[in-house]
Amino acid sequence: MVDLDPLPFVSNETLTRIREALTPSPRTVRNLRKELRQSGLAKLGIALIVGVLLMAAFAPVLAPHNPTNQNLDENQLPPLGFDRQTTNTTSEMVNGSITIVNQTSWVNSTVEHPLGTDSLGRDMLSRTIYGARTSLIVGIVGTSIAALFGVTVGLLAGYYSGRIDDVLMRSADVMLAFPSLVLAVALVGLIGTASVRVPDPFVLAGLTPNMPETFTLPGTVIIVVGLVNWVWFARVSRSEALSVRSEEYIKAARSVGASDRHIVLRHVLPNSITPIIVLATIQVAAIILLESALAFLGFSGTTLSWGFDIAQGRQYLSTSWWIATVPGLAIVVTVVGINLLGDWLRDALDPGIEGEGGGP
Amino acid sequence: MTTVSLGRFLLKRAVQGLFVVWGVVTVVFLLRFITPGDPVTFIAPLDASQELRRQIAAELGLNRPIYVQYLDYLWGLVWGDMGYSYISNTEAGARVFARLPATIELAVAATVVAVVLSIPLGVVSATRRHQPVDYGATLFSLVGISTPNFWLGIMLVLVLAVQFGFFPTSQRGIGFLPAIGQTLAQFDVGFVVGRLLELQLFDVWKYLTELPVTTWLAHITLPAITLGTYFTALITRLTRSGMLEELGEAYIRASRAKGLPESLVRYKHALRNTLAPVVTVVGLQLGTLIGGAVITEAVFAWPGLGTELIRAINLRDWPIIQGSLIVIGAGFVIVNTLVDALQAYLDPRVVAD
Repeated sequence: MVDLDPLPFVSNETLTRIREALTPSPRTVRNLRKELRQSGLAKLGIALIVGVLLMAAFAPVLAPHNPTNQNLDENQLPPLGFDRQTTNTTSEMVNGSITIVNQTSWVNSTVEHPLGTDSLGRDMLSRTIYGARTSLIVGIVGTSIAALFGVTVGLLAGYYSGRIDDVLMRSADVMLAFPSLVLAVALVGLIGTASVRVPDPFVLAGLTPNMPETFTLPGTVIIVVGLVNWVWFARVSRSEALSVRSEEYIKAARSVGASDRHIVLRHVLPNSITPIIVLATIQVAAIILLESALAFLGFSGTTLSWGFDIAQGRQYLSTSWWIATVPGLAIVVTVVGINLLGDWLRDALDPGIEGEGGGP
Repeated sequence: MTTVSLGRFLLKRAVQGLFVVWGVVTVVFLLRFITPGDPVTFIAPLDASQELRRQIAAELGLNRPIYVQYLDYLWGLVWGDMGYSYISNTEAGARVFARLPATIELAVAATVVAVVLSIPLGVVSATRRHQPVDYGATLFSLVGISTPNFWLGIMLVLVLAVQFGFFPTSQRGIGFLPAIGQTLAQFDVGFVVGRLLELQLFDVWKYLTELPVTTWLAHITLPAITLGTYFTALITRLTRSGMLEELGEAYIRASRAKGLPESLVRYKHALRNTLAPVVTVVGLQLGTLIGGAVITEAVFAWPGLGTELIRAINLRDWPIIQGSLIVIGAGFVIVNTLVDALQAYLDPRVVAD
């Protein structure tokens, strides 16, 4: 932090403004807490997010079955309360002539599989719980990559202006010409779906021996969803940097010989952070939707993904509606939670944010 | 504001747009060199000799330096030549443009769905704030922007096509223009009027459902809702917040104070000012929908640009991949520029910025 005292040429009023700008105002934080107590929707959003986060973090403990274990004897079991009738048509030889016999039987749901099973007899509840991991990791890491890259580009463009700004913003225009899904499909499809296997700490510690030993991270997908969404961060942080750069305290910092790096990191960034936080929240939701779309189209690196399950359930729509329905509801609940939080943050911080940030 | 400056503004926007299209073309061209895999390996038989591989590369011009290939590709594009498909040996440009009408049709239908539903919903929501209809609209738009549209499409198919059989589950059936043409050609006014006079309403209903235009409508309804829901939700939000903002302005209070009827205040003044930004967003969305239809097309086996792109990606059919991406990107830029021009024409303040 720049030492403000040896600035005799700056008026006291400006000094106070500089100090205010440089220290996080406890008033704002307190206001946020107060408003949060008043906003039921924000609380609902946070509750949903915490629920999904817990599901993702403690998946091996919470899941009743191994989500990848197949059991063909128990395939397409309906969820609790949705017992269904099936008709088996067989032909029999009776007295030398063939008769066709229609046998109706009931397929009963079991408490073992409260959300039913898929076409290979895998437990839908366990798959849904594990799917939360993929969605959240891709959403959060992807957003971080996009934010890191986009904010760097945006701050530099806004702070330096001129030629750098022109080049960076024209390349942003080119990026924006493609919907993020199209770009992501092209990149993942052409690069290929590389994935990384990460050992599961719960299994490693011997707590949940029946669960998958490793968790598959869709590596290409994570990087690609980050790369196709950086533009939103670049645009928002650029316009913030543009409005901040002519402020008094920036001039003050520059006049005491602070380096550009110092000014950008310590002064421009902190004063541009509010809309970036709001955007990041909305982007997590957009990237979760994007990941599910990629997985649905078969461009994923993992089979434990809500989008993947929707794709496989689609083939059994006429017989087993729940295989495609359950993971979709999980996506809606998660994204509604994040959007509730994002809307509330936007209203509470009122940064006059630009853009809506993609989405398929 | 003089017309000269409007003309200069449009010219400037057109040149800018051209540069972005050039950027799009360059990025798309470079895609082949930054992604792993040699196109020849996808075309050549598995047991092809080195000699044959070299021959294929030479035939496709892939053995030339990158900048020569780039300039050649650019020069071809100027004349509308996108090369030949590696797989089917048809012209890439012809293939891509043959798929474009289906996608545009879907994008326009989705926009129509979105505009027809969202603007009234947003207005009603804003004028009846904190009433049940407002909460309903807010809930709808929240869920609308949070629902993956491919899943929505599958759910619509599950309920309306598989369970009740109201709509076909997939495919396009017939194009819009042929449907209109054939309907006009075969429509028998005398038959319909005659049956109506005899009160044979069921016959009339049956006749109407068998018209080509009905087939078209049945096929496009679910895809259009699927693609349009996200934008319906988005525009509902935009209309609602814009309308609320306008209703709080001083000129609204002034209009009310001078005794204007409330309907005039709301719909002539507030709504009109709300619609300007809404129209811009609608126009821009139309551009993104052309590419955004990729996944909706996949759900409904819709024979559009997105389906073609995914097929080409899986086969590494580069001329088709490049062609579809350029059409998607350039389409967005063109729509964008047209919307800007329209806005500048309607609102001279834009030119001044």
